[in-house]
Amino acid sequence: MEFSHDRSGDTLVVTASGRVDGSNASDFLESLQGMFDPGDQRIILDLGGLEYISSAGLRVLLMAAQNLDRQSKSFSICSLTEAVGDVFRISGFDQIINVFPSVEAAKQG
Amino acid sequence: MQRALHLLHPPEQGHPSDVLPLIEDILNEMAEAEDWPVTLTMRANLILEELVLNTLTHGDTSGLTEIDLELESENHALTIRLSDDGSAFNPLTDAPVPDVSLPLADRPIGGLGVYLVKTMGEELEYRRENDRNHLKLVVHPE
Repeated sequence: MEFSHDRSGDTLVVTASGRVDGSNASDFLESLQGMFDPGDQRIILDLGGLEYISSAGLRVLLMAAQNLDRQSKSFSICSLTEAVGDVFRISGFDQIINVFPSVEAAKQG
Repeated sequence: MQRALHLLHPPEQGHPSDVLPLIEDILNEMAEAEDWPVTLTMRANLILEELVLNTLTHGDTSGLTEIDLELESENHALTIRLSDDGSAFNPLTDAPVPDVSLPLADRPIGGLGVYLVKTMGEELEYRRENDRNHLKLVVHPE
């Protein structure tokens, strides 16, 4: 997986691309948590370049979402590809995590 | 189009997840040759990762030595047949099922994998025969 992040004020946009599966899900969690700053109030995860996600990757997203929710921070995911969006829908993740079509839409969210 | 994969336990090298690139390569080859919708490739990969990793992860206690995987595709429908020589385990009934309607704070972290297999897979059949587990399912793009 590849990561980058862009912070502007209290908004952090994390971009993750590639594949997240049982071999690298724990690295995904570590990388994600390493990017969060105590000052970030709004975290947007841009998954536009994510080609594959299995239940191991979904678990990481769920842990991150619950963790940020407990801290009363805003968390949203955007730019899902067709295939990842399909997995989100079937797992019911689109009902518990805010999903937007683009980073811009998520910022306005 | 048909493809098969024979996996040994313990894995010849390292970690159970080392088999994931083998699964990915076979699916990509079939997807490219038959122009699969992206959702079919994703569903097939997710289901196979879940079932194969589950079986390998519990391989030490189940006495597993091998897994046989057969894939057969026709008209964008993929039939998956998995068989292994570990102790009897029916993932369709023996694994806990999460409640996916729960709100965020109450959603359990585990159990999602088998739920996705059962939701994305159709015509699911399990049988125990000749001291082996046999699982069959069909995957469609939608």
